[in-house]
Amino acid sequence: MLEAFTLATILCGFIAIIFKQNLVMKIFAMDVMSTGVIAYYVLIAARGGVFTPIIGNAKNNGTYADPVPQAVILTAIVIGFSIQALMLVGAMKLAQDHPTLDTREIEKGNTP
Amino acid sequence: MNTISIAWIVLPFIAGFSIFLVPKLDRYLAIFAAICSMGYALQLITSRSTIALQLLDNFGVTLLIDSLSGYFILTNALVTTAVILYCWQSEKTAFFYGQLIILHGSLNAAFACTDFISLYVALEVSGIAAALLIAYPRTDRSIWVALRYLFVSNVGMLFYLVGAVLVYKTHHSFTFAGLRGSPPEALALIFMGLLTKGGVFVSGLWLPMTHSESETPVSAMLSGIVVKAGVYPLVRCALILDEIDPIIRVFGVGTAVLGVSYAVFEKDTKRMLAFHTVSQLGFMLAAPEVSGFYALTHGLVKSALFMLAGALPSRNFKELQHHPIDRSLWILLAIAGFSISGFPLLSGFGAKVLTMKNLLPWQEIAMNLVAVGTAISFAKFIFLPHKPGVNTKPIKLGFWLAIGLLIGGLIVANVIYFEAYDAKNTIKAIAIIAVGWLAYLAIFKRTAIKLPRMFEQFEDLIGVMTLVTILLFWATFV
Repeated sequence: MLEAFTLATILCGFIAIIFKQNLVMKIFAMDVMSTGVIAYYVLIAARGGVFTPIIGNAKNNGTYADPVPQAVILTAIVIGFSIQALMLVGAMKLAQDHPTLDTREIEKGNTP
Repeated sequence: MNTISIAWIVLPFIAGFSIFLVPKLDRYLAIFAAICSMGYALQLITSRSTIALQLLDNFGVTLLIDSLSGYFILTNALVTTAVILYCWQSEKTAFFYGQLIILHGSLNAAFACTDFISLYVALEVSGIAAALLIAYPRTDRSIWVALRYLFVSNVGMLFYLVGAVLVYKTHHSFTFAGLRGSPPEALALIFMGLLTKGGVFVSGLWLPMTHSESETPVSAMLSGIVVKAGVYPLVRCALILDEIDPIIRVFGVGTAVLGVSYAVFEKDTKRMLAFHTVSQLGFMLAAPEVSGFYALTHGLVKSALFMLAGALPSRNFKELQHHPIDRSLWILLAIAGFSISGFPLLSGFGAKVLTMKNLLPWQEIAMNLVAVGTAISFAKFIFLPHKPGVNTKPIKLGFWLAIGLLIGGLIVANVIYFEAYDAKNTIKAIAIIAVGWLAYLAIFKRTAIKLPRMFEQFEDLIGVMTLVTILLFWATFV
């Protein structure tokens, strides 16, 4: 059930990247997509249980969350956020000449 | 050796950050790191040693460095050195060199690792550094091209991440070998990300505009080595898992045919070179065992060609045919064109023979046709009119040093596969070039067909990813 929701989030983001005209909306749509991916990693980590994996708390029959996907997705979150920031800076620069930020127009103006 | 390997991976990043701290040392630090990589790669190739490292536990980073990755690393080092030499006397700021060497380091890391997460990090870092280099002139067009590149590669990599976690779900580890036994959707998603990043088949149609609209040194870097970071993991997976090998070979042939059929009709020098890169990526994927040598010769020749094309007075072939170009430039263009068409005496010949030898029977006809297409595309350069001393743009010493390094590398690389020189191979290579030139003079020189820029719009680039995923899913299912 939750898996279906996270996958739907990824798909919504992907479809929005294609159908939204505004460049900033496209960037946000990509963020929605990466949120879906992060949620999916967290979900997979929680398959075995949801307790914090610390040896001292070894009383709940080993129903711990898997630490590896969480550690991995932390790296991906940082990378995703830096790409997001970089793209927004690019969009700001482009907005000076294309105030509407309409992707079709920007593309038409910048294709040789 | 293990310590040296880790030091070699870390060195470019340290150099990159030091450049930001001490901007005066920019080019010296950058070229030092690139030359260290070159030494390391040469040592790997000559000793034929294999270094397999597993850092931390079985969740940790795994590295595998052998002579295949040695060739990719050597290409990376040579191309980076040539690009630094090319820019030596220009006004480029420390920022440019810093990004360049970080890009070099991330590509080195991508050629060394064999687990999906380290690869993800390396590819994303290379994507960011490449986008910053593309946007370096700060014009609207360059910013748009960089944004488009970042968008396409990041969306591809998000799908890749979903695939990677599916592999983890099955095997509790992220290594490449874990693809065996994983569900088909994991393989489809991971490969879709890599195909997009590497510019392979229809998902690589972002590549021509990105490579042709960047500045000359950046195009040389992108076409020479950056796209190969997406191809190398595919090759590595095909070598680790036999059942994936046919899929990669099919994509290789498809890419080669697609790229070359655009290249023969292209009227713009840089776009022609970019489309031709797509077709050469196909050659690498069509014979995964020997892709290292092919990547080396292609990287050298393509970056030299981009630099030479940048020194020509015009980008339009029609205009170039009416105004003679400088003879010294023409000679270098002809040498590069001969190498990539597979003419004996240059290492492009050895690479083509080796690739053709490792093809499966069903691939041979298509790949020979592609070789003819390559000869047709480069006949456009070779048959340009030329005269001594008509140079319009002043050429700096750094340019000659860079070209000298790349072309010299092409000649020296002959030693890697000198067994290629026998009568049958030589005659075949010359016949292919002759057929290509005849076809060019008889047909293609006069045609005025201009292929539309269909499917190169932003929405198409993203939409095509779904098609490739479905195709891959179907291919793994059957």
